Amino acid sequence: MNTMDNSVHYSAIQTLEAAAQMLMAPPNVVSSEQRRQAESVFLEFRNTKNPYELCRDILEKSSSDQVRFEAAGLIKSALIREWSLLSENDISSLREYLLNYLLRKDSPAFVREKLLQTIAIIIKRGSIDDGGRERKSLLGELEKIILSSPISQQKLACSLILAIMQEYAITVKSADVGLIWEVHFRLKKSFEALDLKRIFRFTVGVLEQIVRSGHRPEGEQALLTKQLLTIVETVLCWSHVSPLLSKRLIGAFEAIYESDTAPALRLSLNWRDTIMQPELLSLFFEIHMYVRSNPDLASPSLTCLVQLASLSGVVVSASNLKQQYLENYVNSFLNMMVYIQPVEREMLGISDIYRRLIQFFSPSMIAATPPAFLQNLTTLTCLCIRGAAMEENINDDTVWREALNKFLHSWCSVVHDTDGYSAETLQNPCIEVFNTYLHCRLSPPDGIRGLDNLEEDVKDEMDEDDRKQHSNMLLTIGAIARKAPAHCCHVLFTLLQDRSKRLETQLQLMHMGKLPISSGGELITLFEDLHWILMITGHFLAVDCTEGETTMIPAEIISYSLRENANIDASLRYLVGESTNTENVDPILRLIGEILRISAWECAALEAGLGTVFSPELSATISWLLKIWANSYLMDQSSVYSEMSAVLECAFGPGSRGAAWAVSRLAGRAATCLRHLPGQPTAADHAVRLLAMLAHHHHKHNPLASCEEFLSLVAWEASGSNLSGELRKELHKSFAIAATYAEGEVRNRLLASTMALQEKLMNIINMQSDTEPVRNMLADTLDCFIGITEGVHEVGEMDEQFLMLIGALDKIPGIIFKYHNYPGVVLPSLNLLSKSAKRMLHSVQPQNVNKFLEICNTTFEVYIRWNSGKISSVPQDAEEEAYEDICALMELICSIARSGSEHGVGDTCARGLRILLPLITPPLLALPTLAQHAYRMLRDLDSADQITNLPIEDFNMVVTALRVGLTAVSCDVSTLCCDTIVGLSNKARQLGDDNPYSLSLLTLAELLLMLIIKMEIPPDSIPAAGAAIYALTCVKPALLEGLARQLIEAFAANDPANVPRLEEAFGVLTNGVLFDGLRPHKIRFQDNFDKFLASVHGFLIVK
Amino acid sequence: MGDIEDTHFETGDSGASATFPMQCSALRKNGFVMLKGRPCKIVEMSTSKTGKHGHAKVHLVGIDIFNGKKYEDICPSTHNMDVPHVKREDYQLTDISDDGYLTLMADNGDLREDLKIPDGDLGTQLRSDFDSGKELLCTVLKSCGEECVIAVKANTALDK
Repeated sequence: MNTMDNSVHYSAIQTLEAAAQMLMAPPNVVSSEQRRQAESVFLEFRNTKNPYELCRDILEKSSSDQVRFEAAGLIKSALIREWSLLSENDISSLREYLLNYLLRKDSPAFVREKLLQTIAIIIKRGSIDDGGRERKSLLGELEKIILSSPISQQKLACSLILAIMQEYAITVKSADVGLIWEVHFRLKKSFEALDLKRIFRFTVGVLEQIVRSGHRPEGEQALLTKQLLTIVETVLCWSHVSPLLSKRLIGAFEAIYESDTAPALRLSLNWRDTIMQPELLSLFFEIHMYVRSNPDLASPSLTCLVQLASLSGVVVSASNLKQQYLENYVNSFLNMMVYIQPVEREMLGISDIYRRLIQFFSPSMIAATPPAFLQNLTTLTCLCIRGAAMEENINDDTVWREALNKFLHSWCSVVHDTDGYSAETLQNPCIEVFNTYLHCRLSPPDGIRGLDNLEEDVKDEMDEDDRKQHSNMLLTIGAIARKAPAHCCHVLFTLLQDRSKRLETQLQLMHMGKLPISSGGELITLFEDLHWILMITGHFLAVDCTEGETTMIPAEIISYSLRENANIDASLRYLVGESTNTENVDPILRLIGEILRISAWECAALEAGLGTVFSPELSATISWLLKIWANSYLMDQSSVYSEMSAVLECAFGPGSRGAAWAVSRLAGRAATCLRHLPGQPTAADHAVRLLAMLAHHHHKHNPLASCEEFLSLVAWEASGSNLSGELRKELHKSFAIAATYAEGEVRNRLLASTMALQEKLMNIINMQSDTEPVRNMLADTLDCFIGITEGVHEVGEMDEQFLMLIGALDKIPGIIFKYHNYPGVVLPSLNLLSKSAKRMLHSVQPQNVNKFLEICNTTFEVYIRWNSGKISSVPQDAEEEAYEDICALMELICSIARSGSEHGVGDTCARGLRILLPLITPPLLALPTLAQHAYRMLRDLDSADQITNLPIEDFNMVVTALRVGLTAVSCDVSTLCCDTIVGLSNKARQLGDDNPYSLSLLTLAELLLMLIIKMEIPPDSIPAAGAAIYALTCVKPALLEGLARQLIEAFAANDPANVPRLEEAFGVLTNGVLFDGLRPHKIRFQDNFDKFLASVHGFLIVK
Repeated sequence: MGDIEDTHFETGDSGASATFPMQCSALRKNGFVMLKGRPCKIVEMSTSKTGKHGHAKVHLVGIDIFNGKKYEDICPSTHNMDVPHVKREDYQLTDISDDGYLTLMADNGDLREDLKIPDGDLGTQLRSDFDSGKELLCTVLKSCGEECVIAVKANTALDK
């Protein structure tokens, strides 16, 4: 280096250090202008060309860590930018220098990491040409350091190994830009094949020495051990991805690699000699016992054990190998469990070990493990149940709960696998788990539940209630309970009987005035006990499933009932309450009878005016339980059972008196809850759901439609209930469904509710006074019609209900005209139309379809008459109103486009779009959800050919909207825009490149290309953007060439050095591609596009 | 329902008849409610409970329909809340007086001159549109004895 360079470097360092000081100074010392200047110093520095000498100088001489960090970063980005211009010697001497620098000079972690990453990138880049030769020799060097040097250097060597592994691990989202993905992937595969196993064996060897040395892992030694463990952990979590997968799938795999749950350990054949060594597994358990007292070390060592529990792939393809491996693993595991008492933080890992073993080894292999394996699972699960219960009461931690979830996951497989453990083996462990769970959920003296949290204010949201929150856990507890039905059924019955008697006594005393109405504590404890017992009972009796699905009576319940062989008559008499003698009564019926009795008690309490005392939460739980019970037991599917208990068949089978009796009980219950608890959202909602489930089963024998309790509910609603709009909507849906299969007089009584609604609508419309209560009623009525449109099925040509619905829809344009100033009315009107689109456009009667389209067309006209060019005074209010209306209109247009293909449909969509486009202003498009809606609509309509049928002025508005969308920073929106451009380009190609539509569309090309090159488009939208560029070029093949020329000219002025590389990149882009829009060339263009991006991003911008 | 006819009232001249009661659980989002004595549009409704086995309370967030201020209130779901009578009527703008009063004509031809030109951008836009000879339709919001122009649009009805 000459003196000239020296002095230049000296002054550069001075400037940088001054700038760094400026940036780090507190805000009151420097002005924002000074700060900006300091920032620009660094910005400029980051673009320095050929900066290696300067950076070395900085690393050696600068005293500022920040400046050294910037220098390290610059070396990295310059290397990526200028790789092809550097000689092999330059690079290798730079690498040696950096390693040497790190070994001899102590740097802060952030500088060190940057430099390590730089060395790793050099190694990876270098291995493209040398096939990994340099890497191999470097690894040799590092191994030597780890075996013999001072501990600080050992740690550094470990860090470098980790940095190299990290560099090879990620291919899809690698920080090392400038290489195409295929190269990244090839390098990863070659690294896997050549060096991964070597690193593993070496590191495990070092760890073994440390464990055998007998020293406690403390201080520096602990830090080194942690790094070694992390290396082994990384190898075991490595995503060994098959090269046959697509890039997108590999990306998904790599995303898992970066998340908490690593993919399973799938190894290739050449690992067999290493992984099948019996000592290896016992060594890993030994390592864990050695480090477990130190949380920092215990975490990676447990992860290793978890990963080893998931061994799969060709390495253990022969089942005897698998068996042998499992035996080894389980023996070492049980051996460890004898010596240790797992602590809280180890639970998650241990539960994961169980989960993975049960997931990756066959049920019969698992069942053949020593009894201690199942016993440990049982004991640990019970421990976690208790831990989770305590945790709930004291803090927000979820460690126990998470571990419990994983254990229950394992149980789920254990109790469901038919070729695993036998029923006898499972009996006692299942009883133990069930009892423990129950114990934790009951109040003292039967259980240990704390009293906390029951009196605090809580949010009342459907997805946060116990039924939802604990549903997964309860599902498994239910399945476990069914493995020991006699025990569990008896326990549940006894508990229910006891609690319901206590509740009855309390409520009776209150009713007679002998107990103050608000004698809180004890009553609340009873409510909570019943709530939990009922939830467990529900999951024991039936399987909770997503709404609308029917499930069967669990086989264990049927065979239990068969085994008990009870007296049918005695059972039925007990069920309906004619006798209280439980002798010879079927235990399942006895349990159900008790539940129905509790429900009847609640109803009686509500009728007696104790609604203010009874718990709405418990009411909801009872409705929920009856719903899932009825969904399995009251349904007509006797033919699907291979065996059926005579008692159950007689009590609830299709056409039985018992079924009709039960349905009327349930309907009566729902009606009572709705009448007395209209203001309690959870209770009322679950009552409506119970009714909806009963109504949902379409068949002629459904006793619901003809049951008096249901019909009187219909009459009650028709006469005007005080329920909220949402609940009434659901009720009308159930009524409409029931009406589709009812006949004769019953059908007339059901239709009376729709008729009453229609009458009300007519009354309101004809009413002179336009007041707030009237508008509220109108909005509610419109909501009820939404329920009808969701429930109705057109039966025959002149379906009365269908005609009444059309009658109501026909009033909508008039309603919007009259109430245009009231969004509270306009919005439900638009919603009713869009919810009806599917039903109406699928009508078997063409005149219905035409009528509906006519209604929509008139609605659009009326809407725009009152809303175009409207300026409002309260901005946020106006925006929100416009926002909701527009969303509803878009929904309407989309549902029309989706539902039909007749000529009129396209016409109506185009009309709708024309009125909508001027309303979607850029400020509105800045709102994320609206943008999402809007661009999805454009894409959907585009495939339905609606956009190119618009007049050119409107089409231009679409192009403007796309322009806004492309520059949005949301991946979804820009992908949708690109997809829309592809669709539109395909149309434009047929129109020719001088057509005004094509010309307008092509103006997007330049913006799109610039966004791509500057990486201002979200990375996940890049493939879609490439497709859009191709599609646009197909409209006008000279387009891309022209844009390239423009871009290159712009570059020639600012950055002439890069012009040849840019020219070359564009050459690659169009190489061998015909712009004919056909698949082979589309694919070739996508490949070229990837290469183009890799090279352009490599030298233009390094992020 | 027979009770609709019973709800006639003196339109917004005195505070007493300016509202009517409604059960809290039956209120609708986008509907109106009185919060802290001001007429508001409901923008958010959520429920909570007094303890897990307690009864529901409704939490309401509303925006004052005249000045855009935000108000909140909480009320047991079975109780009644006051709901303001709200009217939005369209008038044709026929003149603007020198002291800033609007001359507005209702559908039935009645004239009124008691409303001032609104403040802010809306007022500016209204004046410039009127000066350039556009036929304008003004939407007047009326509730609880207060009144003001809240929206303006070109009267396309006249073109047809």
